[in-house]
Amino acid sequence: MNNQKPKPHLTLHERMRVLSEGTRYDSCNQTAVCHAFGPDGRCIQLYKTLLTNSCAGECAYCPNRSTRKTLRASLTPKEIAKITWSFYRKNTVEGLFLSSGIIGDAEKTSMQQLEVAELLRRSGFTGYIHIRVMPGTPKYLLEQIADHANKFGVNAETTSALNYSEICPNFDYNNDVLTRLQWTHDLIKKKRSETRYTGQIIGANDTQFVVGAVSEPDRDIIRTVHGFMNKYALMRPYFMSFDPVPDTPLENSTPSPKWREHRLYQASFLLKDYGCKASDFDDIFNENGFLTNDDPKMRLACTHSDYFPVDVNCARREELLLVPGIGPISANRIMQTRPIASEQELMRMGVVMSRARPFIELNGNRQTNISSFMESVV
Amino acid sequence: MIIAFKVSVNGVLLACAKLKEKPEAELMFANNKHEIMQKLQFSNVRDEMIYLGFDRQSQTSGLITEILGKHPARMSRTDPAPIKYIDLILRNRDANPAELVRLLVSCCGKMEMLYSKKTQLARRYYRYMRDVSASWQRLCMLARPCFINGILTVRIDSRNDVGDIFCRWLAKKNPDVPVAVIHGKDAWVGNGKLIGLGGFIKTTAKFIENLKGPELDTGIETDIEVEELWDIFYDSQMIETRRNRTLAKKMQPKGVSDLYGMTKKDRYKVEHGIANCTLDRFI
Repeated sequence: MNNQKPKPHLTLHERMRVLSEGTRYDSCNQTAVCHAFGPDGRCIQLYKTLLTNSCAGECAYCPNRSTRKTLRASLTPKEIAKITWSFYRKNTVEGLFLSSGIIGDAEKTSMQQLEVAELLRRSGFTGYIHIRVMPGTPKYLLEQIADHANKFGVNAETTSALNYSEICPNFDYNNDVLTRLQWTHDLIKKKRSETRYTGQIIGANDTQFVVGAVSEPDRDIIRTVHGFMNKYALMRPYFMSFDPVPDTPLENSTPSPKWREHRLYQASFLLKDYGCKASDFDDIFNENGFLTNDDPKMRLACTHSDYFPVDVNCARREELLLVPGIGPISANRIMQTRPIASEQELMRMGVVMSRARPFIELNGNRQTNISSFMESVV
Repeated sequence: MIIAFKVSVNGVLLACAKLKEKPEAELMFANNKHEIMQKLQFSNVRDEMIYLGFDRQSQTSGLITEILGKHPARMSRTDPAPIKYIDLILRNRDANPAELVRLLVSCCGKMEMLYSKKTQLARRYYRYMRDVSASWQRLCMLARPCFINGILTVRIDSRNDVGDIFCRWLAKKNPDVPVAVIHGKDAWVGNGKLIGLGGFIKTTAKFIENLKGPELDTGIETDIEVEELWDIFYDSQMIETRRNRTLAKKMQPKGVSDLYGMTKKDRYKVEHGIANCTLDRFI
């Protein structure tokens, strides 16, 4: 158990720095307005902080695990509310992203998170509130959080109970994570039917995966994400590349390459916006079930060459979406303004012709490739 | 015949309807009748004139369906509705309202042509529209207001005429305080009812200086303290191994960032990185 108490002599600035650093790997980009961009190019939309980095958990990858020697700090709900208000009025953020270490147990922690959300809403805060709830949070607290938070959910971290027990030994994957995701989904569904068009907060499900902490292949991650999208109406999963933290059981593990996170995001967008299924990716994994460092959509197109060329002037929307260089918006533009006369028109509509050209046919013309050239010669 | 119309959404719609009836007519636009007279004097034209949109609000609800079609189709969630599209274009300095009227009429009720960028003209006007929304979004992102006499005030600088829509956005974001946006000599006040004015008014920058808002206990520290907190938070979010200077510079443009002290400092960090060696370390 954690026996390191928060040090009382830290100033507000010092505590704030420690706790904000604890959330820098968390992604939360789901609101409308980015208010600043950090030197690493990632946008800042919300004031991201932990309530505390003192944690009773012993997650193998986490810098805040209970047995690790590190500076511990915490902010009171009032302090978090005050900082959030200050940033919000200054137009530097759109709201709050609140996560935490486990203070005693999940219930106690979630109660404090709820207190922050209630404090803000009671004082008239209309901004965005995103709460990372703790695994094992009781249902009654989830119901109350749903009244205030625009987005909330528990981190799945990995794809199976076995993997989860390896990295998060204090929690149970099926009960503490999957059941909570189901409850969250049910709550949101219920609220949506009750408060439709009344302008009240409805909320959305949210989860994050740590990529590379255990040896799970991308095939498993993509299948899990697709399963979550169908089962829990997960709109968008977040991925966090694993970086080994000194003084943790995984300190000697290999860090996950950054491009892996990027390729997984691309694959998740293909699932969400392009109508792909998890099984569609089976042909593009390597022998170990991992994605390679190539654009998954281009790889899919090259693997399924029998689908192409697609005739731009009579293809269905689903067929157009398979073409690299054509996204949902340009597919809509094509569908609504056909017939398309030339490549210039397609380019104006936002189609990336250098990528799309090998896969499309326009008014009977298509780019010659070696195989069709050979066929014509024979 | 010359169709003279006011540079407003109503004026544009009325001009579209008239141009459909008289396709051979010439178009002339202005912000008021006086401007039209000046233009006429300059060109010395004696043709028959039709003035549209200058008088009291004309009924255009029927025209919307007639000109823009029954089911105007947008290509993406982020595309504005046709009325908003026209409104945004009229805020762009480079846009020519007469050209816009001809573009709308050439669409023949198929408003998807506006969003498809299929023709060069449609593409140019789509770009104008995006240019205006981008300058508004940049303000939403980078403007840093502060409380002056109890009013949340911000001075903006934009090529396009977006002061009023930005003020509405800021007022909606802060419904419990009066807000003021100053753009050159013009100014707008949002949530004005809280200080005995109308809900949303256009006024002058000088008027704002004399305004006084209610004493509010907003729980806000002084500006300097907030800036200090922000610097700590901003620095804490940087992941050195993921630093992408080109992307960061593109996303936090210098021109807009220079307007406010806080964003200027952020931009400096984007360019030069965050110093990991401070005076504190030597003391």
